[in-house]
Amino acid sequence: MKKINLDTTPFNFKNKKRKAVLKKQKKELKGNIRAFFLKSGIDMTFCTLTLVLLVIGLVMLFSASFFNAYCYQNGDSYFFIRNQLIWALLGVVVLFLTSLIDYNKLKKLAIPILFLSYLLLLAVLFMPVRNDVHRWIALGPFTFQASEITKFAVVLSFAYLISKNFKHMSTFRYGVFPFALIVGSTAFLLYLEPHISCLVIVVLLAGGMLYIGGIKLRWFGVVFIFFLAALAYLILSNKLSYANERIIGWLDPFNSTADTWQTRQGLYAIGSGGLLGLGLGKSRQKYLFIPEPQNDFIFSVVCEELGFIGALIILLLFAMLIWRGIVVSMRARDKFGALLGIGLTAQVGLQVILNIFVVTNTIPNTGISLPFFSYGGTALVMLLAQMGIVLSISRTANLEK
Amino acid sequence: MAKGTTIRMWRRSLLVLIILVAALVGVGGTKLVLLQLVQGKNLQQMAIEQQRKDIVVSAKRGSIYDRNMKPLAQSATVWTVVLEPVYIDSEEKSQLIASELSKILELDYEEVFKKTKENSSSVILKKKIENDVKDKILNFQKEKHIRNGIRVVEDHKRYYPYGCLASVVLGFTGTDNQGLWGLESYYDRELSGQDGRLVTARNASGTDMPFEHEQMISPKNGYSLVTSIDETVQHAMEKYLEEGRINSKSVNGATAIMMDVNNGEILGMAVKKDYDPNKPFELEDQDFLKALEALPENEKTKAKHAMLNYQWRNKAVTDSYCPGSTFKILTASMALEEGVVDENSKFHCTGGLIPFPGVKKIRCHKRTGHGSQTFPEAICHSCNPAFMKIGQDLGIERFCKYFRNFGLREKTGIDLPGETNGIFFQNMRPIDLIVSSFGQNFTITPIQMIVAVASCVNGGKLVQPHVVKQILDEGGNIIKTTDKLIKRQVISADTSRKMCELLQKNVAEGSGKNGNVPGFRIGGKTGTSEKKPDNKGPSVLEKYNIRNFSGGKDYVASFVAFAPSEGKESKYVLLVLYDTPRGNSYYGSQVAAPIAGKIFYDALMHLGVRKKYNEKELINLEKNVPFLVGSTVDKAKADIYKNELQAIIKGNGDYVVSQIPEAGEKIPKNAKVVIYTDEMSTQRKVKVPKFSGLSLADANKLAFNSDLNMNILGVTDSSNGEIVSSNQSIPVGEMVSAGTIITVRFVQKDTVE
Repeated sequence: MKKINLDTTPFNFKNKKRKAVLKKQKKELKGNIRAFFLKSGIDMTFCTLTLVLLVIGLVMLFSASFFNAYCYQNGDSYFFIRNQLIWALLGVVVLFLTSLIDYNKLKKLAIPILFLSYLLLLAVLFMPVRNDVHRWIALGPFTFQASEITKFAVVLSFAYLISKNFKHMSTFRYGVFPFALIVGSTAFLLYLEPHISCLVIVVLLAGGMLYIGGIKLRWFGVVFIFFLAALAYLILSNKLSYANERIIGWLDPFNSTADTWQTRQGLYAIGSGGLLGLGLGKSRQKYLFIPEPQNDFIFSVVCEELGFIGALIILLLFAMLIWRGIVVSMRARDKFGALLGIGLTAQVGLQVILNIFVVTNTIPNTGISLPFFSYGGTALVMLLAQMGIVLSISRTANLEK
Repeated sequence: MAKGTTIRMWRRSLLVLIILVAALVGVGGTKLVLLQLVQGKNLQQMAIEQQRKDIVVSAKRGSIYDRNMKPLAQSATVWTVVLEPVYIDSEEKSQLIASELSKILELDYEEVFKKTKENSSSVILKKKIENDVKDKILNFQKEKHIRNGIRVVEDHKRYYPYGCLASVVLGFTGTDNQGLWGLESYYDRELSGQDGRLVTARNASGTDMPFEHEQMISPKNGYSLVTSIDETVQHAMEKYLEEGRINSKSVNGATAIMMDVNNGEILGMAVKKDYDPNKPFELEDQDFLKALEALPENEKTKAKHAMLNYQWRNKAVTDSYCPGSTFKILTASMALEEGVVDENSKFHCTGGLIPFPGVKKIRCHKRTGHGSQTFPEAICHSCNPAFMKIGQDLGIERFCKYFRNFGLREKTGIDLPGETNGIFFQNMRPIDLIVSSFGQNFTITPIQMIVAVASCVNGGKLVQPHVVKQILDEGGNIIKTTDKLIKRQVISADTSRKMCELLQKNVAEGSGKNGNVPGFRIGGKTGTSEKKPDNKGPSVLEKYNIRNFSGGKDYVASFVAFAPSEGKESKYVLLVLYDTPRGNSYYGSQVAAPIAGKIFYDALMHLGVRKKYNEKELINLEKNVPFLVGSTVDKAKADIYKNELQAIIKGNGDYVVSQIPEAGEKIPKNAKVVIYTDEMSTQRKVKVPKFSGLSLADANKLAFNSDLNMNILGVTDSSNGEIVSSNQSIPVGEMVSAGTIITVRFVQKDTVE
């Protein structure tokens, strides 16, 4: 028998034992976390990406908004970030709650929500004008944009109808007519607001979902011809004057007589960032140059402070979110889930793309916010709820876990 | 998989995914590359420009010092009053500000009122106001509680404490403190520093931020220059140069340069007439003002411009001239170096020479001829035929080679603006060589001449002349030191040593006598050159009838000399030049050399060059006057005799109450020291007699009889002809105490060349 040197070994011995215990505990804990996700079954990657973007968005919102808040909110620098933070916490709760709900229950709500959307779109036309357009609906102390509901309603109803009529999608009666009716009427109401950016998103989303849903490609040709005809009519009847100025401003934002202040200031900010940026919190353009830097043009402040590298990382994070959202949704248990998940992810993706195109003056300026970044409490909660639905879909998805 | 996704859905979803990611990362990323990396700098610049609603805070311009750190040019703080109309929002406020400020600043009420209404964030109301005016404005603001709308911003004003001193070297600045001429212009970038900005963040409407978001980007003050100019030397140069200009009636001005031969440092550079850099845009010359008055109104601006340009001209580096006989220094150096002549070479002068058949006889200035003479004698005589012969022996090729090597075909590169190059022959013919040998028919600038001569006496090195020795930052740290730059070896050290001896001989006993200063072994050469008819005077002088150059011959009288320095490594070379003297004499020996002697005396005394007398000079050696006040008369007498001086006692007291000259003064051996023994006797004065035209002995006698002490300057050796007194330090008829030292200058009577 080997003699144990009691003077030297006991500690080691004890230590070894303790290590083993610790390791076991750690393993258990790890197991618990994994178990939680396994049990709930939501996709960790998508969830993490969502939360990371949310945190970055909040930090950037504070940086972009504090001076504006100081100037226009009675010296309260924390005005915007405080509100957004409260809504974000609420949104995270909503995110996890919706992720626990079986998304199939939404099927029953698809048509009612679509009608709610119509109702709101009609109601909004009678609301007081803000910035020359009717977009917001006041609900007690809160205001929200009717179009937030509309986008969701279109995605939900399309997912529901496509999955229901999947086998008949190639026919006009089931595959085209109801969808054309929904898109057409919704687009018309949005045109009346006017809310062109939302209109574009709705049309593109609808097109994308129908495409995935298996519609015959020639219908897109028909829509395209219709689009050209409409465009020709607008140009010939000289009804584009409102958009015309925007297009002139878009082509040459620095010398145009059109009001390109916002675009120009955004570009100054982006250019000032250079490769590495001026540093977090050090934007100069946010000092009242960019109007409402906490809203649509927040990405230009991001570019100025974090530089090309930082901006590119954020673009990549968004790209990963889109990729993960679509991949997860494609593996959903049923077609409704797949279409709903893809639609909701694509909606976020389109919004990000259009926002960045507007901020970088790739397309003419049209009001569109950047998900996770732009200020807006109800929109944020809505966004996180939609992300929750994607997570809920991921629970049923056939992923290699 | 009936419920799940179909293959086609998969495919189509993937396509949608790819399009979305490509649009986001591909298009978005490319656009960011373009905006941030390619156009980033431009956009940033535009952003910065709009971000500052700023007011320039001018940087303090660096000072210019002489070599002993005496300030020659300095900047003082003044203020600019700026209105900020965006803050002047009420009619009442406009009226109040306009009425008060128009009173304080002596402006028109209407004008100020209009400015308060301007649609602009800031309007300059008045520049360069002094501290007291600024205080008045601040008081007004405080009294009437005007918190914003008026701003007083720091600015600077240039001033030159010594007035005209070294004005052509220093130059001057414009209203925005920008250097316009001289060192101010040449070193403008170093001197001006970087303007600061008072930045207030602004929004679209141009008003300041709603809280104190004001930032001062401090101006970076300019560097200071330490020049090699010595204020005392410069002062002496200007004083005597101007004196000579007036006496010689040099209508085209005068210039003098003094340089350290070894390192090219300019100790002084004077041009007369010059201007006051404190008010450079005012015409100094009364003749100019008169001529300007006479002109019709529409020509005045243009004429004034031309006149100002003439006034600012730095003759020392801009105006080229025929060096005349001073050029013989260079011809002699070439010949010695090439072995064409040596100390024993013989020349014969018959008063003129026909260099080769078919050419008119070229006369020597001494029509009767110098006869047979050695090379050193030819230099002392400044004999033209001898130098024609030397030139011929050198030949065109060698002459041109040395001409170029002496730096006469290129600008010297001195750190002053406006330097020009002279005119030399395109193709040198034999006849050109003949006249060039004694310095005619080509032109060079004074600075080229002095640098070339310096190389003849410093061991043969052509140095780069410079004015600025060091550039200092605000804290006095050295930013840059001008290194001594030797361009090339022109002649050997041995030839240079020989030239020094020859030139010293010329001043001691030859044509350069009038430039002598006893005790300092001056060497040099005089020159009197004819001005060509086509290059007589600047057009501005003739055009506006200020001077008339038609008819008669005009000359340039010059003297170039060097003084070796005992105990110090340096050696100084001095050029004095009078352009178009129209007084009694136009000869370099009469007009320029005495002035050079005076300058040398003051300059060398100041520079601490030790005197070293030769035997002849020793006879007139000066003695120190002892301190006598308070001692008994007997003791005082003993002290005076001990110092080889004479004592004259006035009064009946037992003790010395005062003495003339003062203790420590230097007076010649056997001169008189007058001691007063009571108060009564000190009241007595003597009248200063006239000292001009006397021989040394007569002058001495007159001084003795008048109870005055005479200090002799200039030529003291009469072995080569009669010398006479020319001028005196105290005017005739002035009452002075007995024993006062009067300085009398002597010149050789018959020197011409």
